[in-house]
Amino acid sequence: MNIIEIHKLSKYYHRSRGIEDITLNVPQGSIFGFIGPNGAGKSTTIRILLNLIFPTSGSAKIFGMDVVKDSKKIRSRIGYIPSDANMYDRMTVDEFLKFGAAFYGVGNNNPRMQYLLELFDLDPMRKIHELSMGNKKKVSIIQALVHRPELLILDEPTSGLDPLIQSRFFALLLEENLNGTTIFFSSHVLSEVQTLCKTVAIIKDGKIINVENIASMRDKQLKKVRIVSDKEITIQDLGIDGIGPVESGMGKTLLFFFSGDINALIGSLTSQQIENLSIEEPPLEEIFLHYYK
Amino acid sequence: MNRILFFMEMRRNARSLLLWSLVISALVFFTMSFFHTVMQYQQQIAGMVQLIPAVAMKMRGFSNINDIFSVMGFYAANNIIYMMLVGSIFAIVLSSNILLKEEFGKTAEYLMSRPISRNEIFLTKLTLAFLNIFILNLIVTLVGFVAIRVYKEGSFNIDPFLVISLYTLLLNLLFGALGFFISVVMKRARPVTFFCVGLALVLYFLYSISKMTGVDGTFGYLSPFKWVNVEVLSPSYTFEMWRIGLFAGIAGLLISVSNFIYRKKDILT
Repeated sequence: MNIIEIHKLSKYYHRSRGIEDITLNVPQGSIFGFIGPNGAGKSTTIRILLNLIFPTSGSAKIFGMDVVKDSKKIRSRIGYIPSDANMYDRMTVDEFLKFGAAFYGVGNNNPRMQYLLELFDLDPMRKIHELSMGNKKKVSIIQALVHRPELLILDEPTSGLDPLIQSRFFALLLEENLNGTTIFFSSHVLSEVQTLCKTVAIIKDGKIINVENIASMRDKQLKKVRIVSDKEITIQDLGIDGIGPVESGMGKTLLFFFSGDINALIGSLTSQQIENLSIEEPPLEEIFLHYYK
Repeated sequence: MNRILFFMEMRRNARSLLLWSLVISALVFFTMSFFHTVMQYQQQIAGMVQLIPAVAMKMRGFSNINDIFSVMGFYAANNIIYMMLVGSIFAIVLSSNILLKEEFGKTAEYLMSRPISRNEIFLTKLTLAFLNIFILNLIVTLVGFVAIRVYKEGSFNIDPFLVISLYTLLLNLLFGALGFFISVVMKRARPVTFFCVGLALVLYFLYSISKMTGVDGTFGYLSPFKWVNVEVLSPSYTFEMWRIGLFAGIAGLLISVSNFIYRKKDILT
């Protein structure tokens, strides 16, 4: 069963593109990554899901309900961490959290709020405007989790968090997920998504360009090949199939991605005078970058 | 209406309401304290007033110099301006910012991601703005009443006082509705305080011009200030249904259109 179902969703701001024709399903119980560079349309998609903005065309459902018509009901079951942690500055952390939690019927002196405040080492008596960016982010995380939502929508949730707090946050997310919470994790940093998510949707220029299993992204056998020769050679000299994006295609050093038969590559190199050869599995970041080229 | 948001907003606006109430009340009380002096030097003042051009007198709200020698006439000529103009500025500034401040303060995303509908947010903030306008009017009216009781000489008929106070409240509520309308048609998330104060002043200026020139034709009625009957000493002075209908109708229309737009608009970022 899918918790989020997005069907041919588009949003234009006057004439400029927000997102175009996005279709995406997020299965219940998953931690689903939503990856793309800044300006790709991640926040636009999320804002439509929360009915903060209205779609130009297409539709989206959460928990089987329409995000426009049933937005209030949907939001009562969601926790949301926005990319910018903007809050009512004059409130204390305690006042702000209690104010937000009251909308979900969570009363004062809630033990979970206490637990989360201690976990993130946050003083509830401090004024919001006194908090650093990272501490504001912690408040934002707590307000999203305190009412035990069925779906967490996270938009760049780690910006401003130090590594220690980030690891606590990720551990908490895994715990929530084990307890049945579905997590929709939007980020432009693949490395943080790959530690949590099994599946990612990749968005570029407002369009979904791929929905991939993290493991299968690695298993595509995309290798990064570096050949150093004592004479000038070109990539065409190798005469093999499966050459992917090329970083250096001629000269004494060839550098390219290769997804073809590794034996064919080795075979072709036997006819070349080479000084050095390295074949390695590229970091996921590099594989990911090629989606944007 | 949402109770949680309402009480949060009430606390948020309490200081401003208190400050405006104190300032206007102090002005009303201070002005009324001169009534005794005016009565004491009635003849000299009447002589001096003869020298003031009739146009300037009309602009100030005097149709007859003897008006200021009755406590109600003095109150109307000197104090109604505070509540009509300053109260309307309070109303339009409060109402125009009450929705928009969530957007330029960047808290709209937080608030609207709670389980609360746009309609609830609108109605809660509308109720709160109108309640603040009502409380301000109530405080200043009570202070005005006490000031009249303290400084009056001779008899005082409360009926015209209540009528002008109600008209002033309706005028302030209309400016509140106008503030909501301005806030929902804004395309950018930024404060509109200067624009709203300017608009209130322009409309008041329009009203003053129409009074000064004695033109009672259509152009004066472009300003809602003109819809208030300030002739408190007229023997037939009472509620006029067409005026109440005009205030209620235009305010109702502005609120309905604003609510419709607010429920359908994207948040400004």
